[in-house]
Amino acid sequence: MTAQSAAESARPRRSRFQESGLVVVILVLGVLLSIFGGKVKVPLFQTNAQGERERVFRVNVEGEREAVIVEKNKFFNAQNLAQLAKDTSFIAIMAVGATFVIISGGIDLSVGATYALASVLAAIVFRQYGPDGPQSAVSPWLSVVIGMVTCLGVGSLCGLLNGGMIVALRVHPFIITLGTMAIFRGIAFVITKGQSIGGFPEKFRDLVRCEVGDGLSLVPLGVMVVVAIVGGVYLSRQTAGRRVYAIGGNELASRFSGIHIERVKLSVYFFSGLTAGIAALLSLGYYGGATSGDGQGYELNVIAAAVVGGASLSGGKGSALGALLGALVIQMISSGIVILGIDQNYSQIIIGSVVIVAVLLDQFNNWLARRRLTAAKM
Amino acid sequence: MKFISKILVLFLSSVLVTTAAEPKKLYTFGLVAKSQSNPVFQAARTGAEQAAKDLSEKHRIAIKIDWRTPNDEDAQKQAEAIEQLVLAGANGIAVSCSDANKLTDAINSAVKNGVPVATFDSDAPHSKRFVTYGVDDIKCGEQVMDELAKVMEGKGVVAILAGNQNAPNLQKRVQGVKNIAKNYPDIKIREVYYHKETPQDAAAKVEQVMQANPDITGWAMIGGWPLFTDNALKWQPGTVKCVAVDALPPELAYLRSGHVQLLLAQQCYEWGYRSVEHLVNKVHFKKNPPAVVDVSPLIPVSKANVEEFAKNWDKWLPK
Repeated sequence: MTAQSAAESARPRRSRFQESGLVVVILVLGVLLSIFGGKVKVPLFQTNAQGERERVFRVNVEGEREAVIVEKNKFFNAQNLAQLAKDTSFIAIMAVGATFVIISGGIDLSVGATYALASVLAAIVFRQYGPDGPQSAVSPWLSVVIGMVTCLGVGSLCGLLNGGMIVALRVHPFIITLGTMAIFRGIAFVITKGQSIGGFPEKFRDLVRCEVGDGLSLVPLGVMVVVAIVGGVYLSRQTAGRRVYAIGGNELASRFSGIHIERVKLSVYFFSGLTAGIAALLSLGYYGGATSGDGQGYELNVIAAAVVGGASLSGGKGSALGALLGALVIQMISSGIVILGIDQNYSQIIIGSVVIVAVLLDQFNNWLARRRLTAAKM
Repeated sequence: MKFISKILVLFLSSVLVTTAAEPKKLYTFGLVAKSQSNPVFQAARTGAEQAAKDLSEKHRIAIKIDWRTPNDEDAQKQAEAIEQLVLAGANGIAVSCSDANKLTDAINSAVKNGVPVATFDSDAPHSKRFVTYGVDDIKCGEQVMDELAKVMEGKGVVAILAGNQNAPNLQKRVQGVKNIAKNYPDIKIREVYYHKETPQDAAAKVEQVMQANPDITGWAMIGGWPLFTDNALKWQPGTVKCVAVDALPPELAYLRSGHVQLLLAQQCYEWGYRSVEHLVNKVHFKKNPPAVVDVSPLIPVSKANVEEFAKNWDKWLPK
């Protein structure tokens, strides 16, 4: 067995170890938050004959009508878990795309700006078809399709532009995406003149905010899972996906082995842009507005999620599932700070520490793997 | 007589024991401002915490302020914070909206879940908030022009510094300035000058305008953007008159130097204090405010009272 093939066969085991480690971390966090988060009193809701959620009232001993209140665990209740999943989804979806780029040995600093540009351009299109727009008479479903194509199209185009310039100009991705980060946000600002755009078609809002059961909004969660599965299958089961690992591990060797480096690079930046477009689309539908300031600083959150999820900034390592779990860990910490009532100013310190610990654990994991490899050789 | 005093002592001690044993009702109010890095919102936080302390003592309740403000302006993070506060059991929320479009649904959802929401500084007018506290923008612009006309003795050429040309609240302030300028026939409005809302861009705009229009004798600044830099106004003190909105610590230096004749301070400490008062009235006393719009007056700060006003910042900014 050569060193390379040994490394190849060791990679899935290491990856599984890392992801199972993240799952354990998530479970421990969940248990701790369930125990120490305490309980919360919330009004009871029911679904009426028209399918609308309404509060449940009763008449008390004094003959007054009062809302029925139920007590729930602050962390472990359906609404909070759905909220956690929804808040995670925007960053997790982009983190899957960023993981592709990081595995290939690159970096995409423009994801936040791509998210903003896709948001505002799609918002302008949606507003045209919204209740106050000039095209309000057009079929609502057609407007939804046009808006979605715009959002995903702009995101993909930004990604292709990044990839194209990195390949054609042979400039480090850090420089190119640093430049496009400013350019994309600048375009968004020029277009909107710094103003918020709202007034989207109700059909689109209803589609993204669609609630099931006890007011649970599961569309962002569903999309996040689909993106992670597609990304995961592509990376681990497709030849094209394995090539991403190959060029991240050793670009020169990959070139000599006949891999079209440029094509692979173009594809990873395309995917990163596309995922930023998907996250922007969900945000538009869920929150109902867009400004050029959207996604400010998200590039760092996205990279942090990918790194906590096991992606190595030197390339060749990472997974879509890891990115999702990394984003979930960060969001759980952030939500946990609210649930436990800890001063918000500590959140940045805690999250920053988690990122450093994750990288140290990754290095320790690599050291263990190297030791195992050396032992296998002997 | 002895028997009666014994009964009285017994009664009083039982009252005292009951009162002491009775747990205070705890209210948690979420405070979601626009950004952590802006000192006006730190003042709002200090105000809210002081109100929590004062009202807790006054009404024998316990009030906790849960500060959930994004590091930088991010309406999505604000909406998430509102949703998280509702799930964490907050009894009420006060928010300054970075983007009304993005926050309307989150506010409505909180209200639907039985959590009343107040807005301060920046409103979401189409939401179900029960009260909004802040300045009346048209009146703010009118006051700026009125005060400027006074210091210019009713004559001269005025430039309006107006920030972002598409911000609805700033447009209202510009309208207010123009409304009042009509009352002064010897005052001519040269132009409304828009710029990116950063101190550097605003200072550069003032300099460009003054170079191109040396006959300008008055500035109506409906926001104090250039005054956050320390060398924005290049004229000799008193040669050009200036009235500006806001009176943060860096802006006060221009009053002392005589470059600015009057600052109209927004009551950012009160944004927090008054919001907590509204929330206590709503959730503890089940009382609605007399009107949904609670207008906060501007405080005039001149060279005469600048030192007195500056002391407020020692109280308003967190220690």
